[in-house]
Amino acid sequence: MKRSDDDDRRAGDSIDEFVPARPAESSGGSAGDGAAETVRSDGGTVGSGSPFETTSSTEETRGDRVRRFLDEFVRTPWSILRDDWRALVGFVIVSVYVLMGTVGVYLVETTSPAAGPKLVGAFQSSEFPLGTTSAGKDILSLTVHSTPSIMIMMTSGAVFTVVVGTLFGVVTGYKGGLVDTALSTITDVFINIPGLPLVIVLATLLEEWINNPVTLGVLLAIAAWAGLARAIRSQVLTIRSESFVESARAMDLSTRWILSREIVPHLMPYIVVNMVNAARRVIFAAVALYFLGVLPFSDANWGVMLNNAYNAGALYRPSAYHWLLVPMIAISGIALGLILLAQSLDRVFNPRVRARHQNTGDGERLEPDTEDDAKDMMNV
Amino acid sequence: MTLSRSDASTARPADDVVIELRDTSVEYGMDRGTSKVLNEVDFEVQRDEIVGVIGESGSGKSMFASAMLDAVPEPGVTTGEVIYRPEDGEPVSVTDLSKEELRRFRWEEVSMVFQGAMSSFNPVMDIRTHFVETLSAHDYDVDRGIERARELLSDLYLDPDRMLDSYPHELSGGMKQRVLIALSLVLEPEVLVMDEPTAALDLLMQRSIVSLLEEIKEKHDLTIVFITHDLPLVADLADRLAVLYAFEFAEVGPSEDILENPAHPYTRALLNATPNLSAPLEEMRPIEGESPDPVNIPDGCSYHPRCPLSDEQCVESDPGPYDAGPEHDVHCHHWEQSVEDIDVAFAETDERAFTSAAEKAVDEPLVSLSDVEVTFGSENDGWLDFGEDETVSAVDGVSLDVYENDVLVLVGESGCGKTTLGKTAVGLQRPTGGSIEYRQRDIWEGSGGTSSLADEEIRRALQIVHQDPGSSLNSHQRVRTILEQPLKRWHPELDGNDRRERILGMLEYVGITPPEDYVERYPHQLSGGEQQRIALIRTMLINPDLILADEAVSALDVSLRVGMMDLMIELQDAFDTSFLFISHDLSNARYLAEKTGGRIGVMYLGRLVEVGSAERIIQNPQHPYTKALRWATPELGEEAREDPPIRTIDIPDAQDPPSGCRYHTRCPEAREVCTTESPEFVDVGDETQIQRSACFRALDEHPYWQSDPIADDS
Repeated sequence: MKRSDDDDRRAGDSIDEFVPARPAESSGGSAGDGAAETVRSDGGTVGSGSPFETTSSTEETRGDRVRRFLDEFVRTPWSILRDDWRALVGFVIVSVYVLMGTVGVYLVETTSPAAGPKLVGAFQSSEFPLGTTSAGKDILSLTVHSTPSIMIMMTSGAVFTVVVGTLFGVVTGYKGGLVDTALSTITDVFINIPGLPLVIVLATLLEEWINNPVTLGVLLAIAAWAGLARAIRSQVLTIRSESFVESARAMDLSTRWILSREIVPHLMPYIVVNMVNAARRVIFAAVALYFLGVLPFSDANWGVMLNNAYNAGALYRPSAYHWLLVPMIAISGIALGLILLAQSLDRVFNPRVRARHQNTGDGERLEPDTEDDAKDMMNV
Repeated sequence: MTLSRSDASTARPADDVVIELRDTSVEYGMDRGTSKVLNEVDFEVQRDEIVGVIGESGSGKSMFASAMLDAVPEPGVTTGEVIYRPEDGEPVSVTDLSKEELRRFRWEEVSMVFQGAMSSFNPVMDIRTHFVETLSAHDYDVDRGIERARELLSDLYLDPDRMLDSYPHELSGGMKQRVLIALSLVLEPEVLVMDEPTAALDLLMQRSIVSLLEEIKEKHDLTIVFITHDLPLVADLADRLAVLYAFEFAEVGPSEDILENPAHPYTRALLNATPNLSAPLEEMRPIEGESPDPVNIPDGCSYHPRCPLSDEQCVESDPGPYDAGPEHDVHCHHWEQSVEDIDVAFAETDERAFTSAAEKAVDEPLVSLSDVEVTFGSENDGWLDFGEDETVSAVDGVSLDVYENDVLVLVGESGCGKTTLGKTAVGLQRPTGGSIEYRQRDIWEGSGGTSSLADEEIRRALQIVHQDPGSSLNSHQRVRTILEQPLKRWHPELDGNDRRERILGMLEYVGITPPEDYVERYPHQLSGGEQQRIALIRTMLINPDLILADEAVSALDVSLRVGMMDLMIELQDAFDTSFLFISHDLSNARYLAEKTGGRIGVMYLGRLVEVGSAERIIQNPQHPYTKALRWATPELGEEAREDPPIRTIDIPDAQDPPSGCRYHTRCPEAREVCTTESPEFVDVGDETQIQRSACFRALDEHPYWQSDPIADDS
């Protein structure tokens, strides 16, 4: 660092025409190794050598990267979930349903009317463990064979809600201006559409499509994404003014990166919980509509089972109670499993928890956030 | 524990103790062990004294305050004794009080003022209701109480009628803090505990409130415990000072003694690390290392890992209080040696030897702002708009040049527009008037939106480092991702290994070792200083020409600030960048500008009022506002300050700025002409120093001198 003492008083219209001159060859314009040659000042706590010339001795191979990827997306989440009973229970429940829908359909034969005696109670015979209907159909078989379509419907509805809702919410919140106005108007329109009548109308209009569980799931979620989009928009509005977003903009990172990697991770717990809620709502809506007979049905379905049982007077015939209870338990079970899973996934997205489950660093620093609590105590 | 403990305690005169802490600890159970956030502390607060408790963040000072009122938040556990001795009556053991007794005790005997005045009020209740609720909750006579409140408010230079009928959002931060002090005193407590009461306020306001405290204390017979991280602030207010380090007291003694003759190595190092206006720069140096973690406080003396004098004795045994003078206790085995070996920067003055700064400009400015204006809010457009005109002019006609390898520090109170001006200069805020040129190219040319520059090269050249490193790093990304991203964007030719090498090299360069370990961490696993260094090298990696450092050291501990500023200066040198620093603290500004030969620019209400080299601004300020800032910067070892050189301590409303010279409403020198005419910049520099000031007083010939002074007798 070298300074000269000469002084040059020039007239100028700017308020500060005198500035310290540094070696004049400096021009920081090149985007490359601009700091290849550096002059260092005295003092300081840093090491020596030009920063862009210091090289690291470790080479990272493809294997390292694969290992890091596995660590990030498999080992750490697993290690976090392992310690959480909700995750374990949720996993078991959801796995049972998935197995039922995939392997179960091959193990349990389809049933037909008069496959057995009428209205055998549950746990009465080994041939029909969950009993039979008044038409002599095997309830276990009906339950198992309705699982695949319900699972597909649920997944498609949930994914649709979350993808569209998050996309609309994040883009409107981050972009602002005209984009915000336009997309928010669309969102508002969807919020105000009465969901059930729309579904009933669409179900009649799109009769050929309705038997496809994927389209049915999307149809049932058609009005659900808008609320999520609104909620996410408001959260993005607060996050976009955070310094790290401003830094990313200053560095000219792409909008896609800012949205997907800077902002969305902060919303993940919220998004996951909403995804599960959307899945639950799809099941409940589907079952309700089948039960009401609004949706046409061709094959087995928990809602249809409920409808049939109800029509057969299962509400007041003790001998038919199992016919009503089995689909009800099936529905509640999947809802419970999903909720437990969503609650525990919350922890997977928390960087503090993630860090503790890795062998890097020293875990959590102590930050007793005492002040507010202490304030409350003064305000007794 | 040590021999001299008994000596120290008996040497103290049997005086009037109000609050006594004996072996008091506060513990939190955590996943990885018990965390002691206050570690077996003994302390006595004397009646009618002002005791200043000084500690860096995370030294346990807030816990100390809470423990005195047994108000430690759940699930913390307070052990040991806290005894309160009222003037008449039996001593009370605070820790044994029932909930109801505590409730009464906390406001009527000992009252507390917290840092964030903003969140201490209920926004839907007016100030009067706050007073009434407090009074009736404690069964006090409301009318008499309100009378007292009025008296207190006017003692604090507030208009009682206006205050009582206001809602919290209508008051400025400084007013709120003063109302809060009045509120805490309305039940006539004996003791007032203030936890960083001024930390969120501007310098001028801080100084003003601190000087009011003395009067309040005399008038109402108070005992004040003033807790702060800012040593100079309390230095001339407090009768006694207590220095907290790592959840224990390092040193307790009379203020003068502590300042002039500190015995503990930490106190001496802390004094050296505190930037100020008069000490030579070479004497300022950071304290190496970081404060310990409350879960594993080092054995023996908790300062030994950072202490240059530590030996085996320090590791083995906890130093008890040694008697270092009348009423001066120090917790160090080697305090005598410390007094001899560790210099105090403040012992010597005025022996200054810095390089002269004024040098000629490189021909072309790097970034040139001309007549920049930024206004926020919406104007009343007249048509069916019944709202009021709600524009705030944050920056009003500022022209400024930043050159290659230049350092410019903008100083001013909060709300003066310095951050807005800074962000405008680096293209993160679109100006509503004027232009910004980067190497003679208008940076907003060709960009339609309000948030992004069209030219990629300019975007890369102008970067920002934020105030709070905690929020400028994405908490969900590892250091590796944070640092890789700018490289991927601007150096796409590098492959993964090259990037990694560069990142590791940079980390090592700024003293973060081992870098291989740190790249895998999340920001919350780093200390504040480390986070700020990561934020700094993230911008450095893309090799910008101008970096806006927005209060980049304010969020750090006092002991780390000098180190961080040194690092920035070092990097500026190594990378040939220019820095635009923003600071509210004149002593930090002085350190940066003087060490680099840069300039300081003083802003007031959206205008630049004075620019000059550090020496000139500090030693010979011309503008009355700069003088006021100079006054407001607390100075160690300086006593008996004169009255504030301002007429009123509250800043005018930015929505309706004063006419003429904007400072005339507060300026002690203001005359009639100042209310109508706006002063231009006047060159008051000389052969070697730059200085320009926007004040009529800088001119020899001006109608100002014939004008009448503004009548103001207060």
